[in-house]
Amino acid sequence: MSVLSFRCVAAAACVALGVAILKAAAGPAEVAQIKPRQDKFRDIGGALKAINDELKKGRIDWDNTVVPNAQTIKDRSAYLLNWFPKGSGPEAGVKTYALPSIWQKNEDFVKLGKAAQDEAAKLNQVALSKNGNALKTEVDAMGKACKACHDSYRSGDYEKEDED
Amino acid sequence: METAFADTTDLRVWDLPVRALHWLLVIGISVCWWTGINNELEYHLWSGYAILWIVLMRLYWGLVGSSTARFVNFVRGPKAILDYASTLHRRETPHSHGHNALGAISIVVMLGLVLAVVILGLFAVDVDGLHSGPLSSYISFKQGRHIAHLHYYWFNILIWVIALHLAAVIFYFIYKRRNLIGPMIHGKRPPDAGDVAETEMEGAPLWRFVIGAVVVTAIVYAVSIAFYF
Repeated sequence: MSVLSFRCVAAAACVALGVAILKAAAGPAEVAQIKPRQDKFRDIGGALKAINDELKKGRIDWDNTVVPNAQTIKDRSAYLLNWFPKGSGPEAGVKTYALPSIWQKNEDFVKLGKAAQDEAAKLNQVALSKNGNALKTEVDAMGKACKACHDSYRSGDYEKEDED
Repeated sequence: METAFADTTDLRVWDLPVRALHWLLVIGISVCWWTGINNELEYHLWSGYAILWIVLMRLYWGLVGSSTARFVNFVRGPKAILDYASTLHRRETPHSHGHNALGAISIVVMLGLVLAVVILGLFAVDVDGLHSGPLSSYISFKQGRHIAHLHYYWFNILIWVIALHLAAVIFYFIYKRRNLIGPMIHGKRPPDAGDVAETEMEGAPLWRFVIGAVVVTAIVYAVSIAFYF
């Protein structure tokens, strides 16, 4: 066996091993993240909608709607960076709109995630302050923080399929 | 003398409101398409309101507008539609002044679909919970997400109907040598041997359009604030 062909075989073996490890990384624990992750994001979206609805009505129910929903957003989003272990992307084989770039450009993803957490904390503060104008501004900022990440790291296919 | 005059003068076929609403709708749907696909929902909402205004105005103009704009003058029964369809393969057929019997179906279907898609959009919930349709505050997040998907689904069907509409225009242009786009821009068409005096379009006064515009603007505004006055 020539040196060159040995190197080829070795390289191929390394690639195969790498692929095997990557596949192994998509273990049941990672795959199991996907569904609850989606549910929790829906909770966040639903909570922001509920706050937005109050703004539309013009008379804001702080105690029954805005405060608890702002709390939900803050509590849920505090953990959102834990919901994306390596292996819980499209390679998991479960329907997910999480793009591989979440892990390829993880630094940026984490930065956007933290920015959303910051806005969630601010939203919570504003909810407790019960200032209508500040709430409008902060709901906008919160939505933009959500969107910033979704625009880059969520597949556009989410529009095509209905949710269950 | 009368005939010679008719032979050389273009006939008015579409009045300004019909033409303006048509091209505004083209722009409105293009903007909505682009902003929808690119998740620019803030602007999608605005263009959606614009489309609602345009469609309501067109429906109103279909009741009280110029003769060629009115539904009673161009929506025909099955017999007239089949009669017209059976002449479609002929290259030389007399002009229908205004919508022909077959084209009328696509007008009604397109207007209906646009209205349906807009109404679904009014209830649709943005997945980020930020720029949802104005009426979504009356339904839950989950229901609103479901409607958002229906909004998407029916828009895709609308796109196919619009494609058919464009295909028909191209068919008339190439096969029947008839330019339908020009009249929709300048409002006139060349005369034709089969024309009779009463085919001339009868306009409608401007004040009617203004009254409709005021009322429709008020309706769209009320919808946009979800009737929370």
